[in-house]
Amino acid sequence: MKKILVANRGEIAVRVIRACREMGIASVAVFSEADRASRHVRLADEAWPIGPAPAAESYLRIDRLIEAARRSGADGVHPGYGFLAENAGFARACEEEGLVFIGPRSETIALMGEKTSARRLAVEAGLSVVPGTLEPLEGDTAIQAEAARLGFPLMLKAAAGGGGKGLRLVDRAADLASAAQRARSEALSAFGDGRVYLEKALVRPRHVEIQVVADHHGHAVHLFERECSIQRRHQKVVEESPSPLLTPELRARMGELAVALVRRAGYVNAGTLEFLLDDTRRPYFLEMNTRLQVEHPVTELVTGVDLVKTQIRIARGERLPFVQGDLAQRGHAIECRVYAEDPETGFLPSPGRIVALRVPGGPGVRDDSGVEEGDDVPSHYDPLVSKLVAWGEDRPAAIARMRRAVREYKVLGIKTTLPFFERLLRHPDFVAGELDTGLVARLEGPASGDRERPWPVAVAAAAIRALEQRRSAAQGGGLERPARSAWRRAARAELIGDRD
Amino acid sequence: MILDATVDGQRHRVEVVGGRGRYTVTLDGRALDVDWQPGPGPFASLVVGGRSHDIGLEPWSGGYRVLVAGHEFDVELSETTGAGPENPRPAPAGPARLTAPMPGRIVRLLAEPGQEVQAGQGLVVMEAMKMENELRSPRAGRVAEVHVRERQTIETGALLVVVE
Repeated sequence: MKKILVANRGEIAVRVIRACREMGIASVAVFSEADRASRHVRLADEAWPIGPAPAAESYLRIDRLIEAARRSGADGVHPGYGFLAENAGFARACEEEGLVFIGPRSETIALMGEKTSARRLAVEAGLSVVPGTLEPLEGDTAIQAEAARLGFPLMLKAAAGGGGKGLRLVDRAADLASAAQRARSEALSAFGDGRVYLEKALVRPRHVEIQVVADHHGHAVHLFERECSIQRRHQKVVEESPSPLLTPELRARMGELAVALVRRAGYVNAGTLEFLLDDTRRPYFLEMNTRLQVEHPVTELVTGVDLVKTQIRIARGERLPFVQGDLAQRGHAIECRVYAEDPETGFLPSPGRIVALRVPGGPGVRDDSGVEEGDDVPSHYDPLVSKLVAWGEDRPAAIARMRRAVREYKVLGIKTTLPFFERLLRHPDFVAGELDTGLVARLEGPASGDRERPWPVAVAAAAIRALEQRRSAAQGGGLERPARSAWRRAARAELIGDRD
Repeated sequence: MILDATVDGQRHRVEVVGGRGRYTVTLDGRALDVDWQPGPGPFASLVVGGRSHDIGLEPWSGGYRVLVAGHEFDVELSETTGAGPENPRPAPAGPARLTAPMPGRIVRLLAEPGQEVQAGQGLVVMEAMKMENELRSPRAGRVAEVHVRERQTIETGALLVVVE
């Protein structure tokens, strides 16, 4: 492989382009009209436009991506995650075009991508699954009947789903019809497939996943687990490895189960098996993601394995350079997803321009970012701005390092999830490793009750800046922004020499 | 200069005097000597009694948004009214206006004019950044006006629904 087209945008496109650069492989970026100025376009060797801003007209257009690959002379395609990464049709189109798709074969994607067939295969491979329907359900009557059989609370899930889209927790029968309608319409617009299925919801479940890699020569290993229990709206916001929950025995057992399913499915390349653990730590297989995972850096930091390069080597037909016994977890890694979202308003998206940016660095800190200062975070795509990852010799050291990094990280112009991480990282439940998927909900609400908040510094800074602004306005100097409030307009009118 | 500063729902009286990097900020009667180094850009460094604070600062509705050590503050500033410190702000009265918190598309309307709604009841489903978000009523009352229709594309701040 000499040239790889990266069929994605944002931080994951940057991640893959960097791996290509380090391996001496040329990289081809693709971009929508909203992304001409984006970082992935700047970092790649080549860049080809693929259409208007809406993803359905650009990043989801198989024909335009194939055309860009043809015109650029790429011989490989990396799909990243999201968009077409788990679209069997895209993998097949690449295969038919003679392009190496950096991921599993298209028929494996189809098999594992259909969540209900993946559940059946997992049962055959000896894994337990969460009680629920093994077939997708069509129509309200079928959903009502199955719900009555399973009992509440229930999870409604998109059969073609992933990434938290088309997913609804339903506590009561009365909420089922409207939740089903919402899930179906979200699934239809995200995946072009509105079918849903039901699973029994576990009480305070833990979400733990196993990373696997397999080559074309029958070699398959796991790279241990990632703990992903900190979620909002059923999407992960913080991940770590190792999981504070797993014993060495449970870790080994889950790894063996994961490899068993990989072998049964004839799976090739990197993938992730997601499990839910109930309050007795019993693992239930949830689904398999047939792609690179957003949170792959935590595994890279504790195992020392570069997963993107490993993906490319496997796709080139190379053998895995390690066996299971070579792999170990060293230290502890945590990832915080910096989203353009306002944690004070229930994580509503906050797109806009990044007016100023200060990114942390120093020992053990990695920032996988898709943006630079001055960039716009477009409202068309996922609001992930960056992934902040910290490594430490053990979990307390990793938490301390992450707190230090969050403290250094400053994003102006948009709201981000960083202030939420500041609170989460010193929450007693988080520090104690008592994680569950409901912890975010327990942390919600205004931060204002927090006695440790350094508000006097904030007020002093604001007052000094206001005074400076008033003086510079009075002297005829420009305001840094148009006056927005009555008091600053009044300030403009005041004379020089205001008695302050 | 004397201002009222509201932060985290509390009002404080703040007086600031000085210039050229040296300021005395009196906050609710307590004086702080601040060594102020503005820049680069919207960042600034404060040294207060030997303690160093690295901050980010940007204009935000009615004042400044300030980032300090991983925390975020919306500091509202106004000409002082002479009221004492720490008076909580009164609860807003009158009709409540639900506006769009982000640009996006209206997927569904969940209430119609004249309908009685509870606080927290969903009024509008909006799609933004590939997620459907339910926007809820800020208070209990009657839906007085609906300003959008389904499938309409809207910008941040657009008026969606008024609840009386």
